[in-house]
Parts: sequence; structure tokens; C-alpha cells
Amino acid sequence: MSREGYQIPTAQSSAPGASSTQVSRADDNMGTTMTYMCGDCGFKFPLKRQDNIRCIECGCRVLYKERTKRMVQFEAR
Amino acid sequence: MAPSSGRRLASRTKEEPEERKIVGINKETVTNTVSTDYPDNFIDEDHAWDVDYFRSKFRVEWHENNEHEAQFSLIGLDASIANAFRRILIAEIPTLAIEKVFMNNNTSVIQDEVLAHRLGLIPFTGGKKGIRDWMTYLSKDADGQDLCFDHNTVQLSLSVECTKNKDAKPDETDPTKLYHNAHVYARDIVFQPLGDQEKWFSGDDIIRPVNPDILIAKLRPPQVLDMDLHMHKGIGADHAKFSPVCTASYRLLPTITITKPILGDDAKKFQECFMPGTIKLEKVTRQEARQAGSGYEGHEGENKAVVANAMYDTVSREVLRHDEFQGKVKLGRKRDHFIFSIESSGQWDSDELFLESVKVMKQKVGKLRQLAVTMVTENSI
Repeated sequence: MSREGYQIPTAQSSAPGASSTQVSRADDNMGTTMTYMCGDCGFKFPLKRQDNIRCIECGCRVLYKERTKRMVQFEAR
Repeated sequence: MAPSSGRRLASRTKEEPEERKIVGINKETVTNTVSTDYPDNFIDEDHAWDVDYFRSKFRVEWHENNEHEAQFSLIGLDASIANAFRRILIAEIPTLAIEKVFMNNNTSVIQDEVLAHRLGLIPFTGGKKGIRDWMTYLSKDADGQDLCFDHNTVQLSLSVECTKNKDAKPDETDPTKLYHNAHVYARDIVFQPLGDQEKWFSGDDIIRPVNPDILIAKLRPPQVLDMDLHMHKGIGADHAKFSPVCTASYRLLPTITITKPILGDDAKKFQECFMPGTIKLEKVTRQEARQAGSGYEGHEGENKAVVANAMYDTVSREVLRHDEFQGKVKLGRKRDHFIFSIESSGQWDSDELFLESVKVMKQKVGKLRQLAVTMVTENSI
């Protein structure tokens, strides 16, 4: 089983992995908006493929991509 | 064997002389370390193991019994058995611990792997009957996939977001007051009952961390922790987090034998060579002073050193370094007196743990007996 298709084996598994996978693939192909965080002021804002890499609020050029929303499994060892 | 060789049929002596049970502790050597109470060691002595004899000699003495720490003596058994109990205590009593971490979000400064490892080491407790009797080990299907059910998996969740505290004073510097959830503690982990778990783990029996104040992570706004945790049963041989004890060890009871009188200032110095409470000072009585050859003649009313409680001795051998005590004292340890010290990590009470180890030992012996029986019957066919 691939990691993308993995679901938490619990009662409350509403397949969060599957849905977020589709969204992220759409992002890659069509250059739709992704959210970035400013390295200076921490402001979160969306950027398109062609946009300037710059914070809208403070002009800082260091931007961080957000962590994946996919579930990642670890062994507590 | 010819009768003239001096070896006759072993008489039924099982009693072993006390002095043979003493391990000699000298200035630089340790002597007489090996037990000899088994057949073929001494002429005219049997020492074959006998259950009735063992029962008549075996004793248990309790010294301390708290929830998380117990001390007791097992007297009259062999080191192999005592050591087996110790090893079972450390490595083979099943406990519940976090085994899988499903990380939905972690923007804290602690890496996912490190956080997962930290979570695994937190000791949890809960309804003991449920954990011991109802919960089972995790089972796997034919493909090696885990089969999680309510009776082998406990689900927990940890979901914390750090936010700014609007009510904080402008000159506040304490992060715990400046922010909400600046510190994430073990008490923030929430038990989520599944299936029949409600029945076993509710009210006082809820699955909870033993120490609610264990610091898991420190956060700053806008960092988030969001994860589901699965606990499984396991044993210490697999991973130390499953070990139910912090320490489980034994030591042999020390013996201190004063062979010649130690009097006056020497007695005071002698007392200071040991831990407090080991040696006490007593006055030489008139009767002792009168007795010729006792070594107390003419010393009536002086202090003499007397052993109060040898158990407090750490066997530091300090006393053997001083010339004035040369030949006046003998140190040793009793080879069949094991002072156990068990410190529970919290899932079990410390005295339960020893009983649990006896149970595991019995299961092992049961298996071995079965194998021995099949071996004998198969060979006889």
C-alpha cells in the first residue's frame, strides 16, 4: 500500500489522506495558489506560480512552505 | 566404589552449615562465592533438592512496601532463581505503552521522530484488571498487517495549539503567561475509548499518564501539535519503554562478625566506618568484665562495638583499611539471603510486580515441563 493511500485504522477514519492527496496534485499541475508563511512577520498568504517571492505585508524575501497536511506514521521507538 | 574409599551411602543430611553460606569479603578478594548445596559436593552429605525441605526453610520478609517502591528479602533460595525473578521483572512482564504515532501536524521545533520517541517513553496507567486480563498483544493477519481491536489497542490523541494570551501584561516575560499552551505536558494527552474500553477504563480506571507533569514539548505561537497515538501491549525484552520497573535489583545480606572485642575510642572509630545504624555502642557489663578470657577484663563501663543491623552496611570495606581492626572483624554476605528492591514505573504497584513475575515464571516452568514430558514419552516409544 502506498503512503498516500494510507488511512488511520480507527473508527474516526474519514479518509483525510485521500482527499488531501488530490488537492496537492491539482496544485502541482495547474499552478493554483499555495499558502506560504513570511519568514519575518509570520503572515500567511497565497502565492501563484508567477508571483513575486515576497511577503505582501513586510516585503521580506524569505518565505516558508507549510508543512504537509498528510498524516505521517511513526513508531514510538 | 569400594567401601574402603571412605565414601559411604549419602546420609539424608540436607542442612548446610551456616558458615558455608557466607561469602567471604576480604580487603582485596572475595572468597567462597559459589554455592555448594547440591549433590556430590561433600562426602556423607546429600543436598538433593527437596520440595518439603525447601518449603520448611524458605522465608519472605518485607522491609518496605509503597506504591512505587518495595523492598523485601527472599531467604533460602538459590541465586539462579532469584536472578530469574529479577530478569523477568525487567524484561518479561507485559505493559501498555505508546507504540504508533500518527502525526497529522507538528510545526514545533521538535522533529517528528524525536517527539514520537519521547511519547513512547511516557509511562501510562489505568484499570489494572483491564490492562492485565482483558487487553491482549497486538495480532497480525496473514500478510503481516496489524489487526487493531478494542482489546489490543488503546487510542489517545494529543492536539495542542499555542496562541498569544491577549490578557497578558505588556511587560510580561514568562512564556507560560504570555502564551496559551506554551508548554505541552503529558496531561494534555486525551484517552479516546473505543468499543468495550468504556467498561474497563472509565472513572478512576481511565488510561492516563502516571506523572501528568512530564514536559513533552515547548511551543510558541502559531505552532501546533496534532496527532493520534496508539498504545499496544509489549514486553521489556522488545523495548525498554515496556519495562514495568525503573530498577529491579537484589543484593545479598551483609554480615559483620566481630571476632575480638573493640573497645573505647576504637569502638567509636569502628562505628564511623559503617553507615549510620549499622554499629551501635554498648557499655561493657560487670559480668563480661569478670569473665576470664573474654577480652573484656578490666574494661567495665567502657564502650564496645556491637552490630546493630548489618543490613544497613554498604560493604564499603572501609573497616578493613585500618590497622587497629586487623583480625578483629570479618565481613561477608549471606549467599541465600536476597534483599530485593523493586521500583515500579507506575503502571503496576511494586508488590504486584513481584507476584506477576512469579506468574510468568510458573508459565515458563509449565511449558518446560510439557516439553520434558513429550521428550520422555517420545523416547520410550
